[in-house]
Amino acid sequence: MSWTVPGSIPWLLAHEMRLNWRTFRAGRAGRGARGLVGMVILGLVMVLGGVFIALGVHGRQIPINPLSVSLAALACAVVFTLMLSQTLSASSEALYDRGDLDLLFSAPIGPGKVLFVRALGVAASVGTIFFLAAAPLLGPSIVWGHPGWLGVFGVLAALALAAAGAGLILAMALFALIGPRRTRTVAQVLAALVGAAFFLASQARTILGEQTSSSLYADIVARAQAGRLHPGLLVDLPLRAMTGQPLPLLAMLLAAVGLFAVAALALGRRFSDAAAAAQGAGSVRPPRTEGTSRRAFAAGAFLATLRKELLLIRRDAALLSQVLLRVLYLVPTALVLSRTASHGGEAALAAGAGVVAFLAGQVAGSLAWITLSAEETPDLLMVSPAPIRMLRRAKLAAALVPVAFFLLIPIAVLTWAAPMAAFWTALGALAASVASGLINVWHQRPGKRSDFKRRAGASWMATLAEIVVSALIALATGVAVAGFAPWGLIPLAVAGIVLLLLRRSDAQIARNLRTR
Amino acid sequence: MTEALIVRGLDKTFSKPAVTDLNLTVRAGELYALLGPNGAGKTTTLRMVAGLTKPDRGEISIFGIDARAEPAAAKAITAWAPDEAMIYDKLTPLEYLEFVAGLWNVEPRAAKARADELLAKLGLASEARRRCEGFSRGMKQKVALAGALIHDPRLLILDEPLTGLDAAAARLVKDMLQERVDAGGTVILTTHILEVAERMADRIGIIAGGRLLAEGTLDALRAQVGGEGGEADGSTLEDVFLQLTAEPGGLVEAVA
Repeated sequence: MSWTVPGSIPWLLAHEMRLNWRTFRAGRAGRGARGLVGMVILGLVMVLGGVFIALGVHGRQIPINPLSVSLAALACAVVFTLMLSQTLSASSEALYDRGDLDLLFSAPIGPGKVLFVRALGVAASVGTIFFLAAAPLLGPSIVWGHPGWLGVFGVLAALALAAAGAGLILAMALFALIGPRRTRTVAQVLAALVGAAFFLASQARTILGEQTSSSLYADIVARAQAGRLHPGLLVDLPLRAMTGQPLPLLAMLLAAVGLFAVAALALGRRFSDAAAAAQGAGSVRPPRTEGTSRRAFAAGAFLATLRKELLLIRRDAALLSQVLLRVLYLVPTALVLSRTASHGGEAALAAGAGVVAFLAGQVAGSLAWITLSAEETPDLLMVSPAPIRMLRRAKLAAALVPVAFFLLIPIAVLTWAAPMAAFWTALGALAASVASGLINVWHQRPGKRSDFKRRAGASWMATLAEIVVSALIALATGVAVAGFAPWGLIPLAVAGIVLLLLRRSDAQIARNLRTR
Repeated sequence: MTEALIVRGLDKTFSKPAVTDLNLTVRAGELYALLGPNGAGKTTTLRMVAGLTKPDRGEISIFGIDARAEPAAAKAITAWAPDEAMIYDKLTPLEYLEFVAGLWNVEPRAAKARADELLAKLGLASEARRRCEGFSRGMKQKVALAGALIHDPRLLILDEPLTGLDAAAARLVKDMLQERVDAGGTVILTTHILEVAERMADRIGIIAGGRLLAEGTLDALRAQVGGEGGEADGSTLEDVFLQLTAEPGGLVEAVA
């Protein structure tokens, strides 16, 4: 049986999926029973949503017209970009995070087969996530009158395979163009940009300065109603495939398998070479010289820790790119909020100030997680005689410095236009940043810097509290900027109460860290 | 002679007992080797001495300072270097030493001079301004050792300091440790390389199952293994070690 023959593709794929499953479970380990309950509740809510959908569409067929065809194609494009974001990231990581690649390449198995299976594993993992999301939503409709909708899963499989192939080609192209040293960071940034592509595209007009913005969906509907929507050739393929028409489904699957096979088989040899080059990149290249080391040593534990944390933040390209991406996501949001609230200048300013404060809180929270929870050598700090409180203060300060740097321009611009608004915004941003930082001090959970994106193991309660407190302070900031400062005390007081509830003593923090 | 380290009645249990009623004494100015098979409790013991792991019970005194009551004072004169170098890949050796000196509150100018001296001594002067990320394991170990020595500790604790070092680097580290002891410093180390302990250690402690089986000079250990009136028969430390650790439950009284 080829499934159980060691070294066969199914056997290797089973190994790959087992590792993926264990990685997924390890990521959820810290969440325990509460995480499981949360997932069950989410699942039930989705099934309930699926039942409502089934009730709504029972006895009706989806019409094949320009509007439905365009919306189905748009949905596919969104799902594909989200999948591509993940597969690109996974493909570039596969080059650097060796895992068992050395073992597999040293075994008498062709590198092409190894890559094929790894790429298949990536496609299967990404596809599974979307399958699991779609199943409860569509299941009731499939059972109750729309068996053809099973085609959606075929379309998802096709999209996952195509995304895995495209992700691999992109990763290898980056590797060839910019070399092993930069590929990892650029691929991560590119993956996040691809993931946010539709969001950014939908906000492009707002960013470019038009007075009103409308979503792509609303735009398509408006054009359909005006009879100006003329989808091109083959655009109807996704909808037809999703509704179970065999030929369109087959066409999509064949195209996807073709792209995947070309990428995986043709790039197999190159992939193994690239993986070896990526591995060697760290040791072969001459280490970077740092001229800053010629200055005098910092005096005392506080300054030394602050300097060390700032150096580590500055030198972590992946971390900086992620922080910049958060800013990238939130800047259009800030603009949208301020513009939609803006038929009056005060309201627009208030909304903008609030978003800046919220954004500051979020970025400070992320950086504080890095400096506090993702310490690389906690034992070194533990064996030193430096008071732990002093070290925490230094780490918190290090998290706030980049936020201050990032806020410098907006606050300076605002000071020129509206000094009082600038004052309140700066105060709000400072308060939100310090509050997020303190939450991270009180609820530290050791993690790795490389896990920054997921903050693996971070307390969900702390993450939620960070958002809530930042939002409350943002609200207070907005209210103050709008000229009702005394009313701003109400959300500020609520934020204060939440912080008091979250506060932990040194002994509690130490106990919490010891028990992990 | 003053005692550098006195441990009395030390207990630590994780899921099972790791260290049980451990007593040991290290004299000032000596090199003490703590030996034992894997899982014997060596690292747990040293982590408790360094203040990294909280004992369930027992006393730890470092140069007369109660390490459990006054941890900061005890840490100020102690250094800990584990087998996995505690360094930052994105920092240069010089930046790393600046950070460590700051933690121990060493005066900046003195720290800079000492850092330059240590890096030169360890053959890392040309790498002082390069990030550690491309360093070999041995180089990282040497950077960590420089970090452990930057504040000139009275008690230096090393867990498997020679792991992963090539012959030249191992010789360099051994020479530095010997120099330190000759200059009056105190060094405690664990090692699986028994020849190193045999050649370098003034006294040796052998631990297994979380208990100290024997403690003393090599001659004293030989005599102990040979039984009462046993003579130093020229057996190696390896023979002694294997004999002591092979006896299940065969606890031996410590010998001076």
